[in-house]
Amino acid sequence: MKRKLIILALLISSGSTYAAMPPSAVLCGSCHGPQGQGVEPLGPRLAGLSSDYIAQQVKLFQTGKRQNVTMAPMAMTLQGPAIKEVADYFSTQDVPVVTPHLRGEKVSYTDPTEQLVYQGDWERMIPACVTCHGPSGVGVGDFPRLAGQQASYIKNQLIAWQQGTRGGDQDAVMGTIAGKLTAAEIEALAQYFSTIK
Amino acid sequence: MKLTHISLLLIVASFTSKAETLPDKQAELDASAKKEGQTYLQPRPLSTIPEGEFGDKVRRGYQLFVNSQQMRDKYVGNNLNCSNCHMDAGRKANAAPLWAAYFAYPAYRKKNDKVNSYQERLQGCFTYSMNGKPPASGSEELVALSAYSYWLGMSGLMDQVGVSWPVPALSDDELLKGGKRDDFAMPAAVKAAMTLEQRAKLPGKAYPKIPEPEQAYSPERGKEVYQAHCQSCHNVDGQGYETAGVYSLPPLWGPQSFNWGAGMHRVNTAAYFIYENMPFGKSIQLTNQQAWDVAAYINSQERPQDPRFKGDITKLKQQYHQHQGYYGQSVAGQAVLGSKAYPNNPNKAQ
Repeated sequence: MKRKLIILALLISSGSTYAAMPPSAVLCGSCHGPQGQGVEPLGPRLAGLSSDYIAQQVKLFQTGKRQNVTMAPMAMTLQGPAIKEVADYFSTQDVPVVTPHLRGEKVSYTDPTEQLVYQGDWERMIPACVTCHGPSGVGVGDFPRLAGQQASYIKNQLIAWQQGTRGGDQDAVMGTIAGKLTAAEIEALAQYFSTIK
Repeated sequence: MKLTHISLLLIVASFTSKAETLPDKQAELDASAKKEGQTYLQPRPLSTIPEGEFGDKVRRGYQLFVNSQQMRDKYVGNNLNCSNCHMDAGRKANAAPLWAAYFAYPAYRKKNDKVNSYQERLQGCFTYSMNGKPPASGSEELVALSAYSYWLGMSGLMDQVGVSWPVPALSDDELLKGGKRDDFAMPAAVKAAMTLEQRAKLPGKAYPKIPEPEQAYSPERGKEVYQAHCQSCHNVDGQGYETAGVYSLPPLWGPQSFNWGAGMHRVNTAAYFIYENMPFGKSIQLTNQQAWDVAAYINSQERPQDPRFKGDITKLKQQYHQHQGYYGQSVAGQAVLGSKAYPNNPNKAQ
């Protein structure tokens, strides 16, 4: 108890507002926001992504399987246990609670974007986004949360998947799906998910 | 007096056991190999389901099919949804489409010397694949699922012969029987285009048969396939992933998956399904051997008990498990499969 108070006092005196933030996350916070809420267009939201997913992305940036001019050197600053510390920190930050739209709530969708999200387009072998990304895209396991993510970021990622500058997905599942999307669909999907708050 | 008591007891006992005898409603799917360049029946888009009472039943069927968990603890005893194995909500060819199944019933089954109607086949899905308790014959759930299946099939058949009017509504009784009947009402052009037998074997039915593996299938090799290609979606322990209460990435074995009586517990059926439909969205193609091996791995894990189990694994194995499967066998020195099986139709809370 006494020790906790001392630590708290030290943290306050050092001027840190976010007591739980590990030192290695400070640099990340400058572009992703101190609580990982994202700063458009500097960095996407990290809050609400799973710790495993964040750690995996750091490693993909480090090995060049995911290419980004800014993130390549930034990811190198994280080594050893710091990767998990940072991943845990951002993954546990609050995100807005979304009331998920479940399959079957609607039988058909007049908006083709919603149809792609909730039912897919099987004639082109495109499954519904929510099958892997969870109801309303809230994320599950290694599949990142899309709900409330920045539209510009989602769009850039889908393009990166198409161009092969983003990889690391199991059996190229995401790359294959992204490759089938039109530019207009990418734009619309990015907009759609960004507005699920 | 005493004798009467005994004979009464015997009568009661024989009645009980008769009522408990579950027919084999999950007989092996009638699979055939996929043909190059084959075209398939294309059901109409769901947006064209008509307004009104009949259309409402069709829509309800779709909703039960993609969110079967709304029947949890009533008719469904695991975490699965019908749409987990019937891709694109039962619309996709070669993924056990409902439009093909509907016109294959009623069907005579040698095994129980009985003609099974479509609703009886659906009841089998609840008992085995959903590890639950089937809705009663004639119930609104079975009517809805039959209506959805019929609408998908008939809309496709009508479009094939250029009949563009709405799918004719049928009575509940008619819907429940299935479409493989001489007296089944349908537009004349549809009836003339194919024979009853042709409609019962529409291309794309069930899962396409693949050749036997080059080497005998092996759960051991299958584990490697699983780890390399399946576990990112189905989890390290095969239990899938849940989010917001939904397992859209479903459990493949264990207490929340299909039971030992479900068609998918057969290694061949699972291999056909996996080869054709996995990995999801078909990003890579597993080899024939990999599909068999991983099917063997998945189906050599413990799962809920075969509902026909009466206390004797060996006897049940003799009676119902003379096929490519692992029920009643010990794999890699583990306990005999079925001996530690999970309960049938458990409550979710348990």
